[in-house]
Amino acid sequence: MSNLLYLYGLVPSHEATTTPLPSIKGFDHDSVIYSISLNDVTAYVCELDSDYYSEETISDKINNDMEWLQEKAFHHHETVQQLAKQYTIVPLKFCTLYKSEDSLKHTIESNKEKLKETFKMLEGNEEWNLKIYCNDEQLKKKVSESNASIEAKRQEISQLPPGRQFFEKKKIDELINQELENEKNLFCEEIHEKLKKISLFGSIKKNWSKDVTGRKEKMAWNSVFLLPTPNVEEFIEEIKLDEETYGIDGWDFEVSGPWPAYHFSSFT
Amino acid sequence: MTVRESIENKDIALIDILDVILDKGVAIKADLIISIANVDLVYLDLRVLISSVETLVQHKQGTRHTLQSNQFDKEREALINATGQPDKWQN
Repeated sequence: MSNLLYLYGLVPSHEATTTPLPSIKGFDHDSVIYSISLNDVTAYVCELDSDYYSEETISDKINNDMEWLQEKAFHHHETVQQLAKQYTIVPLKFCTLYKSEDSLKHTIESNKEKLKETFKMLEGNEEWNLKIYCNDEQLKKKVSESNASIEAKRQEISQLPPGRQFFEKKKIDELINQELENEKNLFCEEIHEKLKKISLFGSIKKNWSKDVTGRKEKMAWNSVFLLPTPNVEEFIEEIKLDEETYGIDGWDFEVSGPWPAYHFSSFT
Repeated sequence: MTVRESIENKDIALIDILDVILDKGVAIKADLIISIANVDLVYLDLRVLISSVETLVQHKQGTRHTLQSNQFDKEREALINATGQPDKWQN
């Protein structure tokens, strides 16, 4: 049996040697997590039996076996989270696999400068996620009542002969939907810019559909921030305040963190 | 409990975890390229995703925090509102 190596994260060696790793179970129930050091970088890995795991079998599992995905995604998350509590860590994406220790070492060696920079950047900073949801119907009502271009269109229509008014009124719905999307984006962009001011970096991610989130409100914004630890309280307070101010209009803010820096430790 | 702690102790949904651990970025290149990188979650079986918006992390680790009194008050209020009964806790 030849083995694959599942890589969870990379840690500066000086931190890894001062704090020992507690015993953590690996990706498979039989394996345990251990470290491989290469100069300044220490990798946390576990072994996987390559008779059972290959690109094809894992892809197949991910796409067809949701229970498996759920269990393994949580395992990955918990393991990296536990490492992140102890060390500055460059977390790896779910199912990052190497064919041999040599291959892993070679990859670390060829990225050592970037890793050094990343460790430095991450130290003392935290990754936080903000998702903004919106009750479209509630906001639509507000937009319909208070938007200037919609009001102008209404005025215009009221001057038309009754026969034409019917068709023009239908167009107003379309206009309302457009204005709704505009206002949503403007609103979220403003929040984003405000939060970026207390962050080192802020990025916008993809919105998930209602099917994925299982919520009745639509996701309007999905963003991630890298914050200096002392700014985290202020960041959360700002969001809480926004929630109190705009919740009444149908906005809902979901903040989560601190996450291992999956987003901001990425480089290619 | 600080606001920060209240968020840290919150249960995390699978969707939030997948959103993070499948992030588009790549720290370093792997030998095996798993095609989830190209899979849009929308095409996955969503029933499990939705049903799992329950607790996981803290349950598993057995470190789930007991209900704080302010949280308890909030939940009680919500229940009272839901039943439509008069609030006997109110003076």
